[in-house]
Amino acid sequence: MNAYLVRRLLQSILVLFGVSVVVFLILYLTGDPALLLLPPDATAEDIAKFRESMGFNDPVAVQYLRFLKGAVRGNFGESLRHGEPAMALVVERLPATFELAGAGLALALSLAIPAGIVSAVRRNTAIDYVSTVVALLGQAMPTFWLGIMLILVFSVRLGWLPSSGRGDLEHLVLPAITLGLFTTARITRLTRSGMLEVLGQDYIRTARAKGVGEPPVVWKHALRNASIPIVTIVGIELGTLLGGSVITETIFAWPGVGRLSVQAIFNRDYPVVQAAVFLLASTFVVVNFLVDIVYTYLDPRIRFH
Amino acid sequence: MTRLGVFWLGAALAGAVLGLVWTAPALAAPEGKVVIAQGVDPTTLDPQWHEETPAYNVLLNIYDTLLFRDKDLRIIPWLAESWKLVTPTTWEFKLRKGVKFHNGEELDADAVKFSMDRLRDPKLGNRQAGNFRLVASVDVVDKFTVRIITSKPFPTMENQLALRGAVMAPKHFAGKDKTFADRNPVGTGPYKFVRWAKDDQLVLEANEQWWGGAPKVKTIVYRPIPEHAVRVAALQGGEVDIAVNIPPHLVPIIDKHPKLYISKAPSVRTLFIPIYTSQFDTANKLVGPVDGPTKDKRVRQAIIAAANPDEIIKTVLEGQAIRTATPLTSKHFGFDRTLAPVKQDPDRVKKLLTEAGFPNGIDLTLNSPDGRYLKDKEVAEAVGGQLTRAGIRTRVRTFEWTTYLNQMVYIHKATPMYLIGWGNTTWDADGTLTPLFRSGNPLANHHNPDFDGMMDEAQTTVDPKRRQEIYARAQRLMLDDGAVLPLYQQMDLYGVNKRVTFQALSSEQIIGAWLSLKDGK
Repeated sequence: MNAYLVRRLLQSILVLFGVSVVVFLILYLTGDPALLLLPPDATAEDIAKFRESMGFNDPVAVQYLRFLKGAVRGNFGESLRHGEPAMALVVERLPATFELAGAGLALALSLAIPAGIVSAVRRNTAIDYVSTVVALLGQAMPTFWLGIMLILVFSVRLGWLPSSGRGDLEHLVLPAITLGLFTTARITRLTRSGMLEVLGQDYIRTARAKGVGEPPVVWKHALRNASIPIVTIVGIELGTLLGGSVITETIFAWPGVGRLSVQAIFNRDYPVVQAAVFLLASTFVVVNFLVDIVYTYLDPRIRFH
Repeated sequence: MTRLGVFWLGAALAGAVLGLVWTAPALAAPEGKVVIAQGVDPTTLDPQWHEETPAYNVLLNIYDTLLFRDKDLRIIPWLAESWKLVTPTTWEFKLRKGVKFHNGEELDADAVKFSMDRLRDPKLGNRQAGNFRLVASVDVVDKFTVRIITSKPFPTMENQLALRGAVMAPKHFAGKDKTFADRNPVGTGPYKFVRWAKDDQLVLEANEQWWGGAPKVKTIVYRPIPEHAVRVAALQGGEVDIAVNIPPHLVPIIDKHPKLYISKAPSVRTLFIPIYTSQFDTANKLVGPVDGPTKDKRVRQAIIAAANPDEIIKTVLEGQAIRTATPLTSKHFGFDRTLAPVKQDPDRVKKLLTEAGFPNGIDLTLNSPDGRYLKDKEVAEAVGGQLTRAGIRTRVRTFEWTTYLNQMVYIHKATPMYLIGWGNTTWDADGTLTPLFRSGNPLANHHNPDFDGMMDEAQTTVDPKRRQEIYARAQRLMLDDGAVLPLYQQMDLYGVNKRVTFQALSSEQIIGAWLSLKDGK
């Protein structure tokens, strides 16, 4: 078991290292931030001086090593646009992003798993069709469209919920639905197909044959065996939720990391983009590492592979 | 007592009572709250670091500058009660007495010197520093008199000080770094800083001791809402009171709403299409006339005569813009009132093209950003359509803003013409004509020694009459050169709740001290 976890840990570190290289290089290729950050009437001399002071003139490899040296200490340099430490700007907005992603995930799980199970158990009934259609809609609707529609209906027309901003629980409702619906749809579909597969297995027939009641068959025998792909998808969906928060946060003026990243990308604010991507990617890697640990409990065979 | 006498006595009494009633609001304590939705949050609350409207809109309320602009954009005394030019390179400012910073420090000449020196401190890298590069020193004459000495005559000093050079509390900021200044603003302004949750909300509270009198509105909250449609939704739902940058297509929703109104002002920003006359290299050195047909002045004049900006304003912008004859607005110093926009004239286009040796028309490219300005791409496409109909077959290429700037505009590769907007908040012709049309600047693709000479002369001439003459001549010369196709001045549109009294300003500024509430709450 230890060897398995150590191997997964090393893989995770390697992934983070890869992230740092990719993030650094992609941003480097998109343009020169000096021109964007100085006033438009800056002279050529101002621009050259600024570039020199920011270290933009050094070879790419030198810039990368400088970046990596800082990154391992959580120091991504100062935001070019805000003039403050980039990591602090990102960390400041993390609670809002986690709050939204957490609410989206909670919403998804509480809807999707029961819906998926019911669909599988009551296959080809009205309830299965309704859940399938809703799930398809949820996957097909673009986030920005759904967000704007929810605002128009629930804020403007009905006046029930605030259109934007962060504050009480009521501020969380619309963005959480917008963000969580796609994930809900995916998990519903996956739970349904996973349960269907398991419910057709011999051991389920055996359990039923020896007189086990229907609820224990579904919850104990079937769900636990169907849960591996569900847990996997939850780990992956967390990435979707954190990444998807970019659009949701912008629509709902939610003060999170996603919105900060978008602004930083438009402004070529390298340090902030790097800090944000690095932090979100780390979260994602950590969560998936935890998912791997959960596997070993759900399916002891994994520990020995 | 005669009837008339009674009338006069009555009138006098009524006048006295009315007078009391009338002065009452000015004495009343600030009340109520106004929520302002901007598109983005300020990047910082350090008043000298930034160059951006969303931050000015917050910081102009916390910090005062030496000079200011009234609603008609005239320069007025602010922290400086009076000022004069002692020699062509020495400006003297007499400060208002008895002004206190929010932390109790007193405003004096030392505070002004501290602030101006901080602004220019190369270690801090303040973005506003470049605007004061001619300042050689700031000298304290006595407690309330300060002199700013420049290395050359600096005719736009007042323009700069009416926006930049916020006066900061010296003891509070002495020895502190920028991160501290970012989050702990202390000025002398009409509003005091309360708190800031970044990208969420920023709260200011009235400074009842403000030297200009207590503001009427007690609390101002700024909320950044990036999406236009959501800003309007928040306005409709009563969550915000003032929303900036309303796109023309959402204007009818606000107009029809019983509780909302539109306030608008012609923007400081003009849109225009510079046409390359010359080619420069990446070091901004002249290479020679530009490659391709626009090297011929007649072709450039044909382009200008082929366009019809009025039609674009009517259709694409739904009437929310004003056509301009030059890249300056009528409120900019140096604007020549006698200049009229060029009329669309297909026959003249044909004649000019034939004379230039292109009787069958020409093929050109028009470059444009996509998403930087209101309907920029649609405007570029409309111009392209008009040009094509006149025989100048135009292909429109659009780019994401940063790519556009970095890989085209700034390195002289947006040939042969490109769309750009320019918001010159110095309100002086120099801030537009020099960076865009005087050779040797990153954005300039025009070379005419006469024009360059005029720009240089105006930059160091302090006599306003003389400067006005120079700029008037320069604009004619530049237009005759066909260096630019001027388009329009955008309308700045604000959606406002009827409980708030607000007038949009051409400066894009929202001045808290000039806001009031209808019902006082």
